[in-house]
Amino acid sequence: MKGLYVTVVAGLLLFPHTGQAQQDLSRLFADSTASHLPVMATFKGTTLVNLQTTKTLHAHDLLFIVGHRFGDFAGSNGGGKTFFGMDAISDVLIGFEYGFSDRFTAGIGRDKGAPNGVSEFQTQLFYLTGKYRLLDQTGDGHIPVSLDLFARGIFSAAQRQPIPQSNIDFQHFGDRWSGSLQLLLARKFSESFSAELIPTYLYRALTAPQDPHQMFALGAGFRLKINKRMAIIADYVQPFRSTASQDYYKQQFNQHFYPPIGIGWEVETGGHVFHIEFTNATSILENQFIPNTTTSWTKGQFRWGFNLTRTFTLAKGAAAEWKQ
Amino acid sequence: MTFLFHEAFCLGLALLLGFSPQHPHESVTTRPVTDILICRNAHISFYSPAPIEDIRAETDQAVSALNSATGSLYFKVMIRSFTFRRSLMQEHFNEDFMESDQYPYAEFKGNVLQMPDLSKDGNYTVQVQGTLTIHGLSKNYTVPATLSVKNKQVSGHAVFNVKLADHHIQIPRLLMKDIAEQVQVTVDAVYQVDNSSSAGTGA
Repeated sequence: MKGLYVTVVAGLLLFPHTGQAQQDLSRLFADSTASHLPVMATFKGTTLVNLQTTKTLHAHDLLFIVGHRFGDFAGSNGGGKTFFGMDAISDVLIGFEYGFSDRFTAGIGRDKGAPNGVSEFQTQLFYLTGKYRLLDQTGDGHIPVSLDLFARGIFSAAQRQPIPQSNIDFQHFGDRWSGSLQLLLARKFSESFSAELIPTYLYRALTAPQDPHQMFALGAGFRLKINKRMAIIADYVQPFRSTASQDYYKQQFNQHFYPPIGIGWEVETGGHVFHIEFTNATSILENQFIPNTTTSWTKGQFRWGFNLTRTFTLAKGAAAEWKQ
Repeated sequence: MTFLFHEAFCLGLALLLGFSPQHPHESVTTRPVTDILICRNAHISFYSPAPIEDIRAETDQAVSALNSATGSLYFKVMIRSFTFRRSLMQEHFNEDFMESDQYPYAEFKGNVLQMPDLSKDGNYTVQVQGTLTIHGLSKNYTVPATLSVKNKQVSGHAVFNVKLADHHIQIPRLLMKDIAEQVQVTVDAVYQVDNSSSAGTGA
């Protein structure tokens, strides 16, 4: 009886001890906790509606992008007779982007160009883009934001038109250039909400009178996830055009400038990102939609738009070869 | 009074057995000071055949520890450390399937049943039993494994299947066609004697 008692008590005391040894094994790696990991998927697409996002492609990924802007949904140019703008294409973009590294993406493309307002005649646009990731937001808050530098250079191949006071009366080869430089500052606030702020500098070599060659603008946008595949996206750009310039266009041509506002629905499936969106901007490239949006939401001058992208993985990394 | 003596005796015996720095059997074998074997670069890969594209991922950043005396076994891997051939797939894996921001690690805590004597070279087929925690959900597993000893170097190898549904890993309906309902996991670890931990951790 005493022997049994000893065994039971000894057993009871020993068992927690083996349990403790078990825990010790996991404690051996207590120091191996990773830190400063970059947050994933702040944005899924490389653009919101009109603005760029901080998303850069993974190394050796190739992105094919098609952008569309249709005609006015409502107002005097929209409605049933144009099937709510679907019959009238205002801008079309086809482009490719390639991830040279996880941090650097470069792109090339062709855009129709969308004349809007009185000073915007340039069409047949070719562009080159570069997007470089400067900072990655980390999950532990060590770096609170992501920061990219984005640049786009645009060349108009349109035939010179001797229209006085227009931006298509090219005198020199250099007159055909325009471009934009943007800082993309983004933060993923939660699993479902990301936002960004985009200080922008625009340069246009040839402009109409009173239309500035240089312009600053401030953009903002957000992405709100609805579920694992879908999100609401929206953006807004405030261009800083001088009052003198605004007044000149108002008096001479009865033209008003409006900030481009876009709202869209994003669906992501594997390598595809689909955007169905509405915006008052008629054109897709920054040098046109930021300074020269003269169409207003309140007048029904907003339109359907699509941004469709497909990612192709060209990497043939060592990971493909390892044994099953 | 005699009862108290019994109590003290039992407690003393228990302390002696449980907390003595050296077990009687240890003093007669040529075991190292510690029984803990450790691996900081365990290789874990998984494979899932799928109609469109087979899914494979691997990492060599898993950690493991094996107590060669008790058979206690531990594995831990950071989900973010798995690399895929397609980095987009890696993003989906972390963000959608594994929710690795919320559940950053997968962990196994268990035992090698009928632990062989690892002081002799050879290949030993064993059963490993324990709890595997993936995506925040734990499930009991009993899987066959191989322990190999060659020139006193201990390595472990195991292949087993994990059902996604067991760990509430949900595949979005749009991607359902691409991914099988279970994945084959392969684990390899080459152990070193752990010199960093004190002798006290040996049971």
